[in-house]
Amino acid sequence: MTNLFLGNLKYWLYGLTLLGGAGVAEWRGYSFTSINEHQVAPKSVRDNPGAYRSHYSTYTRYSGGK
Amino acid sequence: MNPLAGSDRFRGNCPNCGAPIQFTFLQAVQTVCKFCQSVLVRQGVDLQLVGKVADPLIDASPIQLGTEGQYGGQAFQVVGRIVYEYSGGRWNEWYLAFSNGTFGWLSDAQLEYAISFPVQSTAPAQATRGVQVALGKELFTVTTFTRARYIGVEGDMPFTTWDKTESNFLDLRSANQRFATVDYSEQPPLVFTGNLVDYDELKLRNVKQFEGWQ
Amino acid sequence: MKVRAIECPNCGGSVELRGYSHSLSAVCIQCLTVIDTSHPQLTILKQLQDANRVRPLLPLGSRGRFGGKLFEIIGMQERQIMVDGTTYSWQEYLLFNPYAGFRYLSVYRGHWNFIEPAKGLPETTTRLGKPALKYQGETYRHFQTAEAETSFAMGEFPWKLEVGQKVTVKDYIAPPKLLSEEITADEVTYSVGTYQTGEEIAKAFALTTPLPPATGVFANQQAPAANLGSAWSTFVLLLLGLFVLSIILKVISRNEVVFDQRLHYSSADKESAKVTDIFELKGRTSNVEIESETDLSNDWMYLDMSLINTETGQAWDFGREVSYYSGTDSDGRWTEGNPKDSVNIPSVPSGKYYLRIDPDMSDDAGLHSASYTIKVTRDVPKFWLLWLAVPLLMLPALWRTIKRGTFETQRWAESDYATSSSSSDDDDD
Repeated sequence: MTNLFLGNLKYWLYGLTLLGGAGVAEWRGYSFTSINEHQVAPKSVRDNPGAYRSHYSTYTRYSGGK
Repeated sequence: MNPLAGSDRFRGNCPNCGAPIQFTFLQAVQTVCKFCQSVLVRQGVDLQLVGKVADPLIDASPIQLGTEGQYGGQAFQVVGRIVYEYSGGRWNEWYLAFSNGTFGWLSDAQLEYAISFPVQSTAPAQATRGVQVALGKELFTVTTFTRARYIGVEGDMPFTTWDKTESNFLDLRSANQRFATVDYSEQPPLVFTGNLVDYDELKLRNVKQFEGWQ
Repeated sequence: MKVRAIECPNCGGSVELRGYSHSLSAVCIQCLTVIDTSHPQLTILKQLQDANRVRPLLPLGSRGRFGGKLFEIIGMQERQIMVDGTTYSWQEYLLFNPYAGFRYLSVYRGHWNFIEPAKGLPETTTRLGKPALKYQGETYRHFQTAEAETSFAMGEFPWKLEVGQKVTVKDYIAPPKLLSEEITADEVTYSVGTYQTGEEIAKAFALTTPLPPATGVFANQQAPAANLGSAWSTFVLLLLGLFVLSIILKVISRNEVVFDQRLHYSSADKESAKVTDIFELKGRTSNVEIESETDLSNDWMYLDMSLINTETGQAWDFGREVSYYSGTDSDGRWTEGNPKDSVNIPSVPSGKYYLRIDPDMSDDAGLHSASYTIKVTRDVPKFWLLWLAVPLLMLPALWRTIKRGTFETQRWAESDYATSSSSSDDDDD
């Protein structure tokens, strides 16, 4: 029985690391997909939901100019 | 009772050269004079000259007359020898006297050893390689068919060989390392069964020395 | 007993017989004549050609220890077989000890074998439908049947050397052992070989220069990979661990519904965007699942949503298209789409949140309306990361199996059974 652990030591280390990593990721709620996350001033949206636009987060400011 | 002990072993003088002869065991009927290589057969109380060993029988087998060893928990001594020659060379059959009064043969072919003992068994009139044969209640397969000539003898024999010239022999083996041989030089054929052995197993003493080898 | 020398009947050169009277033939090193030494009247058996001369890897006369016994090399043969028009040759060295007798060393492409005569008789059997021999409790699978002949030789032999004569040899394997069967009309002999590496042989003979390295895989060479069974057992145990981990994660997840409301939309509405009441997301940073269930029938709806933290102002924007169509045609009833939708937002910190929802439907002439339920669940156990771990966990065992498979394919490539779909069964363990 001990041979199972000793003879496959690298396998066990790899496997347990993998499980540990997957467990932590699950626990923290990680994911590969991400929903657009950004900061926005809260007050204005609550009072005027219609004015809020998602491009507040996705719009890239013009960075050209002299 | 040790067959090699006792003063009741046959004594006499070589009819050819006069040298003193003493058989090493009670049942011996044939011997070879160490001095003049005459083959002598015991006839009652006399020794009869029947032939001469022409060929020098010195070979490279580590076993010689007087070699002692152990097999099956019993000690043995080499008391006789027959040398055969066939198309593939020569081999020795050493006659062994065991301390418990039994006798056996040590086959020595190219330093591959086997010990066998005579058994009462019928043997087929003939057989070829690969044939299965039942000998002494065991099943064997023929591994070798040999036609061989009697080249010479040494020491004491329980039978006479001087009138034997050429004969067929079968070597047989079984799965559990058992060994058997059938000797067609007599009618009915002689059957022997035994085992293949390693040199070390026999714990041999008083063997030939080789220069440069321990 | 001393070693004696004979005089070559061809060139008169001195030929030492280190095998004493056992040597029935010897090759004169000076003129390559094979001499019959079985009788004092020396005769010539064959004349070897210098063109076939082979340089031995182990010098004749050198001594090495095997199984505690000292052996001296007194002869060497170059032997060959012809398979599918190709000649394969190897060397066989004759080892001699005046007491223990004769042994052999064979070498092929850097792979060595220590060979001794078999004691018992093997039994004929089969293994996986192929011929096999059972010897001393082990089953040896048939590897190759070929006709071998000696093409060149040096030194002495305890038989009359026949150059050019063919003898049928059958090889059976049980790595690291090899069982050889040589059959002639009157005789069958069995010998057992044990695989040796070049390093082991060089060590036995205390060679100063290393021997040629091994190439390819030899018949009775042991596979280097570790026990496959234990690798797969490790995988199964890790899988079990993964299962246990899933149970733990499921148990500690909150799976708490924090918002559940039925809302309505009509294309007649002027301003459709709305915000929900504030709800609290408790516990550690974890995911949030937002499910929408609509009563759409042959229509579509677009939900532009944002999850906003009241304290930090963090917002997550996402848009979901939901559509559902159904009808009947010649094949019966059909449906397309799904009136339900679900989205998972990862790593949302705890705090007070609300949703901003801006639904939209087709802006064509007709009136489009729908009712929809929005349900927000905190910390939903999602296992897809763990599912991803399953193939990753399998990789090492799979890799080992593949490596073993390629090793075994290479092994059997030189056998009588070399096909594209060669056996991947274990010859080891």
